[in-house]
Amino acid sequence: MLRDFELDMPADLQETLACLPGGTPLAGGTNLLVDLRARRESAERLVWLGNIDAFRDIKIEDGQAAIGGGTTVGDILRHPGMERAAPALVDCARVFGGQMVRNQATLAGNVCSGSPAADSVPPLLSLDAELCLASATQVRTIALDDFYTGFKKNRRSPDELVTGISWPVPGPNTANRFYKLARRKGDAITVVGVAVTVTRDGNTCTDARIALGAVAPTVFRAKEAEALIIGETLTEERVDEAAQKAKELSDPIDDLRASADYRRDMVQVLTRRLLNQAWQSLGEKEAGR
Amino acid sequence: MTDQETSYRQAEANVVLRQVGKPLERTDAVGKATGRTRYAGDYTMPGMLHAKVLRSDIASGRLKRLDVSKARALPGVACVLTAEDLPDRLAATDMPGQTGQKRAATDRQILVREIIRHHGEPLALIAAETPALADKALDLIEYEIEPLPGVYDTASALEPDAPIVTEPDNVVGKYKIRKGDTEKGFAAADRIIENTFYTQFIEHAFLEPEVGLAWVDENGVVNIRMSTQVIEHFRFIADALGVPHNKVRILGAMVGGGFGGKEDITVELYLALLAQTTRRPVRLAYTREDSFVGHGKRHPFSVSHKTGVTEDGKITALEVTISADSGAYVFLSPYVLLYCAVAAPGPYRIDNVKIDAAAVATNNMYTSAFRGFGAAQACVAYEAQMDEIAKALDLDRFEFRRRNFMRTGDKTATGQTVESAIWADECMTKALDALGDKPADTGTVKIGRGVATYQQSYGRITWFHDTSEAWVGIEVDGTVIVRSGVTDIGAGQASALGQIAAELLGVGLDDVVIYNSDSAVTPLAGTTTATRALYMTGRAVHTASTNLRERLVAFAAQELDARPDEIDLANGQAFVPDDPSKSMSLKDLASRGASEGLERSELAMFRAPFTDPIDQETGQGPVFPDFTYGCHAVDVAVDTETGEVTVLKSVGAHDIGQAINPQAVEGQIEGGALMGQGYALSEELIYEEGKLVSPSFSEYLIPTSMDMPDIQCIILESRSGLGPFGAKGIGEPSLTPVAPAIANAVADAIGTRVFDLPITPEKVVQAIREAQR
Ligand SMILES: Cc1cc2nc3c(=O)[nH]c(=O)nc-3n(C[C@H](O)[C@H](O)[C@H](O)COP(=O)(O)OP(=O)(O)OC[C@H]3O[C@@H](n4cnc5c(N)ncnc54)[C@H](O)[C@@H]3O)c2cc1C
Repeated sequence: MLRDFELDMPADLQETLACLPGGTPLAGGTNLLVDLRARRESAERLVWLGNIDAFRDIKIEDGQAAIGGGTTVGDILRHPGMERAAPALVDCARVFGGQMVRNQATLAGNVCSGSPAADSVPPLLSLDAELCLASATQVRTIALDDFYTGFKKNRRSPDELVTGISWPVPGPNTANRFYKLARRKGDAITVVGVAVTVTRDGNTCTDARIALGAVAPTVFRAKEAEALIIGETLTEERVDEAAQKAKELSDPIDDLRASADYRRDMVQVLTRRLLNQAWQSLGEKEAGR
Repeated sequence: MTDQETSYRQAEANVVLRQVGKPLERTDAVGKATGRTRYAGDYTMPGMLHAKVLRSDIASGRLKRLDVSKARALPGVACVLTAEDLPDRLAATDMPGQTGQKRAATDRQILVREIIRHHGEPLALIAAETPALADKALDLIEYEIEPLPGVYDTASALEPDAPIVTEPDNVVGKYKIRKGDTEKGFAAADRIIENTFYTQFIEHAFLEPEVGLAWVDENGVVNIRMSTQVIEHFRFIADALGVPHNKVRILGAMVGGGFGGKEDITVELYLALLAQTTRRPVRLAYTREDSFVGHGKRHPFSVSHKTGVTEDGKITALEVTISADSGAYVFLSPYVLLYCAVAAPGPYRIDNVKIDAAAVATNNMYTSAFRGFGAAQACVAYEAQMDEIAKALDLDRFEFRRRNFMRTGDKTATGQTVESAIWADECMTKALDALGDKPADTGTVKIGRGVATYQQSYGRITWFHDTSEAWVGIEVDGTVIVRSGVTDIGAGQASALGQIAAELLGVGLDDVVIYNSDSAVTPLAGTTTATRALYMTGRAVHTASTNLRERLVAFAAQELDARPDEIDLANGQAFVPDDPSKSMSLKDLASRGASEGLERSELAMFRAPFTDPIDQETGQGPVFPDFTYGCHAVDVAVDTETGEVTVLKSVGAHDIGQAINPQAVEGQIEGGALMGQGYALSEELIYEEGKLVSPSFSEYLIPTSMDMPDIQCIILESRSGLGPFGAKGIGEPSLTPVAPAIANAVADAIGTRVFDLPITPEKVVQAIREAQR
């Protein structure tokens, strides 16, 4: 049974931040309430974020995309500009949870839950996202890439709220994709999640991101694999090398969903596949111009 | 295309049906759609207590110490019961029978006295003023368990010095079937093909976890309102309480799914004990986690086939060895085993058959009834074997089946002549037609097609001497009432009875009200299990309605000055079809009848065929009343690099004799398609040293709406079944062929096979790699 807890319902952002020391933010509750009921979490005072003004705003302008700290996965799916501003995030939103969860789950909650299987994190990493953190006394931004320090550990201090997430909108010669491998299509915990970004200029890959989910204590960027393709033509061999490197960089566990060996192999398969798809889609675009 | 050659029994050919066979809106539809239907968990009583069950968290041990004093001392706790507080009685694990007979030495302890045999075995019962207090009391109970060596697989359980879970040797059931001469049959074969197939533990995962409310009334009767498939456990509950059978009453409510998981006793025993002790109403509602560890599971089976075939694809001999994990208590394992043994050859004509089956006790969770009841596991094996043989012989899989299908008039492996139509072939042809052209492969994604056909019983084992009763009456205003103990577990069991009565009494379904599921005031109809409810209770309603109809017709003949054989009843009228002047409303007929002392009600009993048990050595003899035949066919896409399987199209084609309500039949086929898909691809209860390590829906993966393809339902009607209007059964059969069809489709796509369910992406990738080696 769900234990009793106190619930604060502050009226705006300032009040919310004032409540936070000693309180735990409650967004969609799709992690927090589940964990409380299972006694994995022991928070005694929850702070509801539902009254914060414009907390679900989405802005795409001047090459920058910014979403409010209360934006849900469903909001991403329904926003017409997202297909272009964050293709991998849209890929992710389509396969995230099920319809009910998508309507409730927030991206900030997903990022803060810090699970290595949190699906929005590989896409956000592949987009160079930054988090905006606010407390009663200061506001700061931190690159998502610097956010995690270990399994379910991050640099947010308990009195801070994620008030927004932002990233540069990819240009026309950048492709950005995500694939979630799981044991079923809806409401499944990810076995391996891979997001890639490839920027192509003629026959050269000028920039790349490879972000891997559920294969290490945190979601992470396979930077050494990225380095193998930046400045290169993505031939079959280059892509294979990068995929092989991504596999070597992953450090998964055996669990009920899959073995570590399978996970490692799938990092290779999916990295290869997504890089090829990304590269080819850009090739087609160029040819079509 | 129908089987013209042999004639089969056919019910009431050429009658005009006005209510039956129509997709009428079920009597339970509006209540469910509007949320007004009351389920067992919706009932409360003033002053009721809330119960909790404390369970063992390890599978094999000795309870050294159980101290409930702190829990008892907690204010608001009304009662804590342990084995010490109970008289030394046992809880039945048998199938409830109308005859009161029970298997010897199969009962289990109610609460653990000393030895713990499975994870989740109950240690103590708590009743408190609030659910939160009951939870708190649970945390205050102190206990110490000394782990004991256990056995967790059937092979280890049969080793000479294995720990004994069930006396004397862990074997809880054994069956043999012998037909013809397999040695000769193998000698006549060109090829012998051997394979072993494995199935896993699975969970019923009904929407509504077990729940009930019990109270002792002013007559000292223990009343239990609960979610169950079987109200007739009241007898076993009375035995466990030590009171006469007429002092326990079970009332059902609309049930949120059963699938066999609410066939055994669940919460009612604990409720009865707590209500008897406290003399207050007690409510017990399992959480999902309680439900996962609180009821029996589907048996994992290993089924080995050795098949002799000629080059031209004729099966000459079949040997099958079956082993089932029955877990820590007997429950229905021997019966499940029998179902598997009888079903093992599939819907095929095989002259020489040898089957050996054993169910073996372990310290895993006990296993018991689950939709398909052993016959589903049998189909997983025989249909995979059919494809493997066809592949080995390089024959078309469907043509190979056609060369061996049973045809109408054939006998089963136990020598029982099937009197109804055998339309396995017809169903397969229709299902394959519906799939149409197979889509093309794209890159690493390969398309596979699979079918599975089956033969599956409906109705209980014939030596159980099964019966069912129903009462039908007509009110003075011409409306109709049906009373029967049948439990409605969501398939429209009650509504179907209404449709049968409406048909025979000439009224609409709206004019019928059905009272069901009360062990004290509705005539006892037996269980809603074994695909028997429509067959058995439908026949009882059919007989009661027919007898009542005859009386009404005779009385109408008098009133209308006509012969009884000229009278028809329809649209609320009694009339002579060819003579518009001769008609009267049923309302007038019933009220006139009432004033003349016409009996306006009828109680009828339907008896299934009664037989003696089969021969122990040969397994020969009739086992079931009759069988349903059908086919499920699917196309799947397999990503050969990741192993992911997507079901593209799913078609069920079944000869169900006569659909009483086609919409309800489609519901069964669609539900079967979903449940079978989970069985094939993603569902598995994982036990480590007997402990369930996947006790929630985040690990136990039933298909979601996003996993399900379009399902096409094809209903064939031979009108040859033993049920009302020639109906057969569809509840269990609709599930049975789904998992093997999917397994065959995956094998078709990847050119090799995963022999153990579920077919996870990882296993697919492994199988492909091994085949490439
Ligand atoms: C059925 C089901 C399916 C699911 N499927 C998926 C899936 O496919 N992929 C996936 O990744 N996850 C999945 N989840 C997990 C969960 O839905 C997601 O992680 C979700 O994004 C969490 O967001 P929330 O708004 O519900 O967070 P909450 O549960 O409200 O909070 C989660 C954590 O983040 C903190 N938090 C929330 N908002 C903020 C904020 N603005 N600032 C600081 N801290 C904050 C909370 O204090 C808490 O510690 C699923 C969960 C369920 C129950």
